[in-house]
Amino acid sequence: MIIHSIFFYIFSLIAIVSAIMVTVSRNTVHSVFFLILDFVSISCLFIMGGAEFLGMIMLIVYVGAVAVLFLFVVMMLNVTQQENEWFQSKKSKAKSSSHIPIGFLISTIIFFELIIVIGGWKLKPELSESFNLSVNNDLTNTHQIGYVLYTDYIHLFQISGMILLVSMIGAIVLTYRKKEGLKRQSYIKQISRDRSSGVEALEVEKNKGVSIDV
Amino acid sequence: MINLNFVYPEIFLSISLMVMLLIGVFKKESSNIVYILSIFSLIILLVLNFNLFDKREIYLFNEGFKIDFLSTFMKVLIISSGIFVMLSSSIYLKATKIFKIEYPILLLSSILGMMIMISSNDLIVFYMGLELQSLALYVLASFNRDNQLSSESGLKYFVLSALSSGLLLYGCSLIYGFSGTTNFNQISLNINEVQYGLTLGIVFILVGLSFKISAVPFHMWAPDVYAGSPTSVTMFFAILPKVAALTVFIKFLYIPFINLIDQWQIILIFLSISSMIFGAVAAIGQENLKRLMAYSSISHMGFALAGLSVGTNEGIQSSIVYVSIYLVMNLAFFSCLFMLKRNNSYFENIDDLSGLSKNHPLLSLSMMITLFSLAGIPPLAGFFAKFYIFLAVVKEEMYFLAIIGLLSTVIAAFYYLRIIKIIYFDPEKEKFDSDHNIGLKFTLIISTILILIYFVFPSSLTNVISNINIL
Repeated sequence: MIIHSIFFYIFSLIAIVSAIMVTVSRNTVHSVFFLILDFVSISCLFIMGGAEFLGMIMLIVYVGAVAVLFLFVVMMLNVTQQENEWFQSKKSKAKSSSHIPIGFLISTIIFFELIIVIGGWKLKPELSESFNLSVNNDLTNTHQIGYVLYTDYIHLFQISGMILLVSMIGAIVLTYRKKEGLKRQSYIKQISRDRSSGVEALEVEKNKGVSIDV
Repeated sequence: MINLNFVYPEIFLSISLMVMLLIGVFKKESSNIVYILSIFSLIILLVLNFNLFDKREIYLFNEGFKIDFLSTFMKVLIISSGIFVMLSSSIYLKATKIFKIEYPILLLSSILGMMIMISSNDLIVFYMGLELQSLALYVLASFNRDNQLSSESGLKYFVLSALSSGLLLYGCSLIYGFSGTTNFNQISLNINEVQYGLTLGIVFILVGLSFKISAVPFHMWAPDVYAGSPTSVTMFFAILPKVAALTVFIKFLYIPFINLIDQWQIILIFLSISSMIFGAVAAIGQENLKRLMAYSSISHMGFALAGLSVGTNEGIQSSIVYVSIYLVMNLAFFSCLFMLKRNNSYFENIDDLSGLSKNHPLLSLSMMITLFSLAGIPPLAGFFAKFYIFLAVVKEEMYFLAIIGLLSTVIAAFYYLRIIKIIYFDPEKEKFDSDHNIGLKFTLIISTILILIYFVFPSSLTNVISNINIL
């Protein structure tokens, strides 16, 4: 048990530190890397808590897709060295930045929300038992999700597949442009060439040369 | 054991969609083949759906799907209007150089989403269907991506629709929180008293739904998107999503929340009155026919909502009749728009119609019939549509709603009649092309004849629809 709590504290420390580093680091690319580190350590926490499906989904979706997308956007927009104006605005040194009060307000709201949630949970413990889900504890939760996803919710599973297909078609329709005059390699043509069509003997005139453009 | 044969239409549509995608990827220059194949698959879908016409109610997937007469009828409406939209718009697509394989595939996937929406009996299924259809519609709106207006309309639709989807999801979560289930039948069982959280949830979902049918005050996107997107997509926008969203309106209000009718009735009456008045007044100043149709569709949706706000079976039936006649009129009007072509460019301003009757007497005749019908002048189909609505509204003694409806009909008649005046009495302009393909002519002729002879057999439609008894 002691190892479990040691790991828990290590991962949560990494998560908190990297979450802070996301906001304070000057380099935007570093911010994204810290975000990825944050996601990874949180997914480790999920796995330790027995929610291995959620942890893996976190890894696949957030790290594999969202964070990489962020990285692409940051690189494309070329905002790597963003001015650090969190603690003071550069333009007018007298006025302090307007980010601080807003950020403070939002953090206070989230903090109070957390207090409310935890308070409700502690004061009314029967709330969490009111769900009448029949959970089979012998199975891992990936198995359990699989059992309902492919039986009771098969129609929704299939429809979401169609939605993803349509979104893919839509993205291709709206962005794909056929380039004219693009040279492509055709293996069939290359292999089926023979000597008679590929080689041509030319009579080269003196001091004139030949044009070999085809 | 799940009876999969009741979802054969959906399964067939998704498989044929993927097969056509593969054909389009591996075969070069296959736009034509894919287009024709998708029309054929829609026809097969229609036949498959006709097999389901049954008065039984069938629940599938843990009651997540419900196949009944209402859903089958609405699916038939959607699929047949999808066929006509595709038949009439192929020339337009070729002329504007957006005849790609993805176009019919996106149309089909949007229809698939609508079918899921229509047969949904669960908040999650409903939301997934809604997302599927609107995701395809975002792309379709900006399909002519080299055109600035089209890209703008796609982006505008995407941003606003995503916002409304967010509100709708928030409403779903509230309803789930207060009733403990997402299933429509279970919700109606679990609701015992009025809870403010539930009312709030209903309001949020109504916001999302009225955005989809562009009812005032959630209509802001409609004129820009209608005017900006390619005309074939506008035609699609004006017909199919509205039918689907209206069905969801009916299912959502009358299955889980029928006991809370006092809570939502006033909202629906407000939506209906404001849409009728705004659609009628704002269309007066429009010069672009597509923008005008956007406002006209807002006003028509107001009438359909008036039928729903009554809270009786008759009201529901009248608004279903309304929406079926509305889609026929829109098919006729937009196929007239497709005929205004000169040297591969299309005209969509009211001025371009001036003196049309001298050069194209038949086209202007069918346009006149359509416009008279849109204005609700007897004995055309549009009159009967409004008549049934007023009948249902007056029967429940909601005179205020009926009077507002009548007044807005009078106002709206002005701009329809103005177009007819421009067509028949203004100086003529250059001739338009007259080499239209057979599908376009077929659509126009069928829809005009349906509008014209509806008064001979008014009971044939109402008899079918009278099988829909939700309450």
